[in-house]
Amino acid sequence: MKTFWWRQIKAVVRLELKKTFFAKRGLWIYLVAALPVFLFMAYAMAVSREQGRMTEMAHEGGKELTYQDLLAVKPGMTNDEVVALLGKPDVHFYWTEHRHTSAQRIEDILHEKYNYSDGQHSLYVEFVNGKAETVMLGEGSNLIRDSIVFAGVFQFFFLRLGLFFGCLGIFMNLFRGEVLDRSLHFYFLAPIRREVLMLGKFLAGLIATCTIFVTSEVLQTTAFLWAYRPSVRNLYLYHNHGLEHAAAYVGITVLACIGYGAFFLIAGMFFRNPIAPTAVILIWEGINPFLPAVLKQFSVIYYLKSLSPVDVPTPPGMHPVLALLISNSNPVSAPVAVLGLLTVALIALCVSSLRVRRMEINYTTE
Amino acid sequence: MAVYRRSYKPYTGVLTATWWRWLVLFRYSRRNLFRSKVQTVLLTICFFYPLLCLAFIYLAHNVGFLAQIGVSGNLISIDNTFFFRFLSAQGVLAFLLTAFVGPGLISPDLANGALPLYFCRPFSRAEYLAGKSSVLAITLSQITWIPGLILFAVQAGFAGPRWAWNHLWVAGSLILGSLIWIAILSLLAMALSAWVKWRIVAGALLLAVMFFGAGFGQAINAVLRTQTGYFLNLAYLMTEVWSNLFGIDSEHGISVADAWIALLLYCGICLFLLMRKVRAYEVIR
Repeated sequence: MKTFWWRQIKAVVRLELKKTFFAKRGLWIYLVAALPVFLFMAYAMAVSREQGRMTEMAHEGGKELTYQDLLAVKPGMTNDEVVALLGKPDVHFYWTEHRHTSAQRIEDILHEKYNYSDGQHSLYVEFVNGKAETVMLGEGSNLIRDSIVFAGVFQFFFLRLGLFFGCLGIFMNLFRGEVLDRSLHFYFLAPIRREVLMLGKFLAGLIATCTIFVTSEVLQTTAFLWAYRPSVRNLYLYHNHGLEHAAAYVGITVLACIGYGAFFLIAGMFFRNPIAPTAVILIWEGINPFLPAVLKQFSVIYYLKSLSPVDVPTPPGMHPVLALLISNSNPVSAPVAVLGLLTVALIALCVSSLRVRRMEINYTTE
Repeated sequence: MAVYRRSYKPYTGVLTATWWRWLVLFRYSRRNLFRSKVQTVLLTICFFYPLLCLAFIYLAHNVGFLAQIGVSGNLISIDNTFFFRFLSAQGVLAFLLTAFVGPGLISPDLANGALPLYFCRPFSRAEYLAGKSSVLAITLSQITWIPGLILFAVQAGFAGPRWAWNHLWVAGSLILGSLIWIAILSLLAMALSAWVKWRIVAGALLLAVMFFGAGFGQAINAVLRTQTGYFLNLAYLMTEVWSNLFGIDSEHGISVADAWIALLLYCGICLFLLMRKVRAYEVIR
């Protein structure tokens, strides 16, 4: 019997995959998944351009500079002192300001801007009448530091919004879409157990979301690392846990698809209008850090946050309430998180199977 | 009389004046609004906060009562910040109400091919849009600037004409701030519902545009170390404009002029999308 059910599940998956991947209604999901990829491609281009500019500046400069040389420049130094220390500037701008000092007196003030670079950092010095007034040391792109930004985008944009709305689009459509197309009765008239149908549809949705969003995640990581030199990339991937982090992100994406998918499958069966359940789940996931420990376990984000390989630090001066939203309080161990999320998804699937057994179609109320 | 003997007879009743024909659409669409229990409940909830604000204004002018319950009289101050908070809270509720009401205005007409029935009558596209959007505009006005002005009038009644004269600009800010938010919400909801044609998806899409836009904007800011991401965050743009209108200090990621231009641009894009879709016939290739 189980082999028969398995064959039926495979048939449903085959049918549903075509509908899910090529549905006109679902095209926006590809856009949602592609947006962060475009973002990191833009980042890669910006970093490459910046690195190219700084390398060019460093080569054009008369003297080979180090980071320590750049640090030695302080406000109040004269331009001769700076030139003696760092050599002739790589980039040099100047202009004269005619400033009214009193009613009938105009004073000429010379402004100069020197730019230096060691190939990785850039120094901007602004002189007013020959004295350094503003000294700005620009940090070049740093893979370790930027990996925290990547983690932030993954946790707060990709997981909570991109994947959330993507799963909403795919999983709610599994049953609601059929009702709106008036085609669900074909499935219900076929000699197939409704639980088997439900499982087949869930697996099809899961395969679709995993394919779309895991591909997006892999492309994001590739685009993020693209801009860096191979030596820097290898150092990050093989010696700074970069490869582990990338694998963890892929794993979290798959688990998020399972968790959110199960939730939206139920929502699609119980609600005609997705706005209310979407808003409720979005708020529930958002207020998760403020919930009591018992209630926290009935959410997806709680487990996903615990699995995140990089903790996003709270910016200094942030309001404590907002800081709590970012922080990962009471994280659970990875095995518990995976097991907990799968249990929550399993409970949701059990509820769905109970619901689908009693489901009645009334197309006229749509 | 036999059916074949019946012939065409033109309508002989009183014609609605040309200028007010869009109100016919408003009348019928408004009736549909209250058929949904959820929408009626949501609309009722929208009046809770104004009532609370009314109570605050009353309490602020009853120092004796406040002293009795052990609250300092200076704790409640009715000023521009009070009205800014009022509009922010009502703005959120207006958005929720739009997510429920807005998508159902145009999408059924488009999905069922009903537009030729409107446009075969002496009724222009602009009048059709005015009629449909007036449902949202009037409903949202009822929960934003109209209660705001009532609160202002009550406060002016308690505080005297001097306060009213000094703070008249707050009333102007209430109206202007509400109107731009109403315009954005109405046009966005109608444009989405016209293009998606599926009422339920259009509602969810409106939610997604708001939250997803804000999230993507922040992601752009963080990754590219820029402030341009704020242009995708409608709520941020609106808060910038409101802060400026109510004279509230805020952290300026982008200038107020930029926020105004972006909001007007969004309105323009939505209007363009709407005009492209709202036609008597559609050629499907």
